[in-house]
Amino acid sequence: MSRSLEDTLFGAPSPRARTITQVVSVIAAGLLLLLAAGIAYRFHSAGQLEGRLWQFFAWPTTWAFLAKGLLGTLQSAAMGAAIALALGLVMMAGRLARPRILRWPSIAAIEFLRGTPTLLLIYLCFLVLPSAGIKLSTYWMLTLPIALSTAAVVAEVYRAGVLAVPRGQTEAARSLGLTETQVFFTIVFPQALRYIVPALVAQLVIVVKDTTFGYVVTYGELMQNAKVLIANYHSLVPVYLVVAAVYCLVNYGISRASRWLGRPVH
Amino acid sequence: MGDNISRLLADHGPAFWQALLLTWKLTALSFVPGVVLGAAVAALRLFPLPPLRGFLTFYVEVFRNIPSVALLIFIVFALPDLEFVIDYEPSVVLTLILVCSAFTADYLRSGINTIPSGQIEAALSLGMRPARIIYSVVLPQALRSVVQPMTSLLIALMLSTSLASQVPMPGRELTALVSKLANDSAAGMAAFAVAAAMYVATGLLIAWAGAALDKKVRILR
Repeated sequence: MSRSLEDTLFGAPSPRARTITQVVSVIAAGLLLLLAAGIAYRFHSAGQLEGRLWQFFAWPTTWAFLAKGLLGTLQSAAMGAAIALALGLVMMAGRLARPRILRWPSIAAIEFLRGTPTLLLIYLCFLVLPSAGIKLSTYWMLTLPIALSTAAVVAEVYRAGVLAVPRGQTEAARSLGLTETQVFFTIVFPQALRYIVPALVAQLVIVVKDTTFGYVVTYGELMQNAKVLIANYHSLVPVYLVVAAVYCLVNYGISRASRWLGRPVH
Repeated sequence: MGDNISRLLADHGPAFWQALLLTWKLTALSFVPGVVLGAAVAALRLFPLPPLRGFLTFYVEVFRNIPSVALLIFIVFALPDLEFVIDYEPSVVLTLILVCSAFTADYLRSGINTIPSGQIEAALSLGMRPARIIYSVVLPQALRSVVQPMTSLLIALMLSTSLASQVPMPGRELTALVSKLANDSAAGMAAFAVAAAMYVATGLLIAWAGAALDKKVRILR
């Protein structure tokens, strides 16, 4: 394990440099404390620290309601991710297929779904499809667009993984007499998965973020439930702060899991 | 469908053009400061100052993991309660700058990791000071090695400007325009198709430019 760049850069400080570092550290800490104090004072002077704005966080019903919202978020995210993983595989297979009649429509679908904002796809399901007589539940109005746009990204991730598997693996498998399907599913794809699992898990963060648009279609996810809480208790800043913290923690957990899965294995 | 699109463009062509321009404007306004801020964060994180490092790590993790809409809603609806009132368009741009800077700092960190430590040792032995090394040895090479992820980030940012449709901005970008047309008229499907085509074309253009730039500046190791 080589030394990190910081260690090389600042590895052997002179006594003078060490003193400077300590002094600047203390100054930085002081400034950051000042910033924190400033924010706290702003909360206080704007009356945002008053008990009535925060007291309902002491009630279990509040947390139960937020937990229900988080469950809605996770249900939508999990279904979206599951569909995306399966559909992404189909799109990738089409993208890598030799016949143009399979390849070109797959490329078009991937580029279209990847290049369009998820929010626009949600509006399509929410505003446009009903006028064409297609009525989806709020759950699907949110989950389907997320699943489709994620599937296109996942298809490209799969493809990168498959292309990263050394060609010799395919050639060796073929020379053993395996069929193309066997080569793909028993030799190439399992190895490709090993490369891309971190990227796939990281994609889950984006799925969870996208479910935040649930309030657009009034699907009961965390953001939507937060809006209900705000309407009930007239407590805007505390509720949004708590909800933002919950989102950050959930996604931070997923990011850490992705980093852990991507750690070098010796 | 073709008929619908040509009728739509005859009626609302200029509106689409303006919406596309606004989308581009929001993208550029948030990308450039976002990258500068992100580079500053990445550089400052290298210094051996634990309080600053801790704060910047917190900053990056928060803005990398918070959903952009949640951040935008906080800036637009919660900050006024704290007596910070920011207009709608600057709020959208600020949201995207914060998110962009966090991802930039993260990507630059992996770019920095690709620099061999021999270069740092060489620069130190030439008598360069650490700050100078970061500025003229580390950052230029790190920037050159992150063109690909930054291209993806720029495309993601361009798509994220669609969240401007969530606040009552005076101008309408593409997604806001589609939602308005879908509400007011039966032209929703055609409007969606036109907007989607504009988004996809912009994304492909950025991807092409990014690939060309990457080919030009990448350092082969």
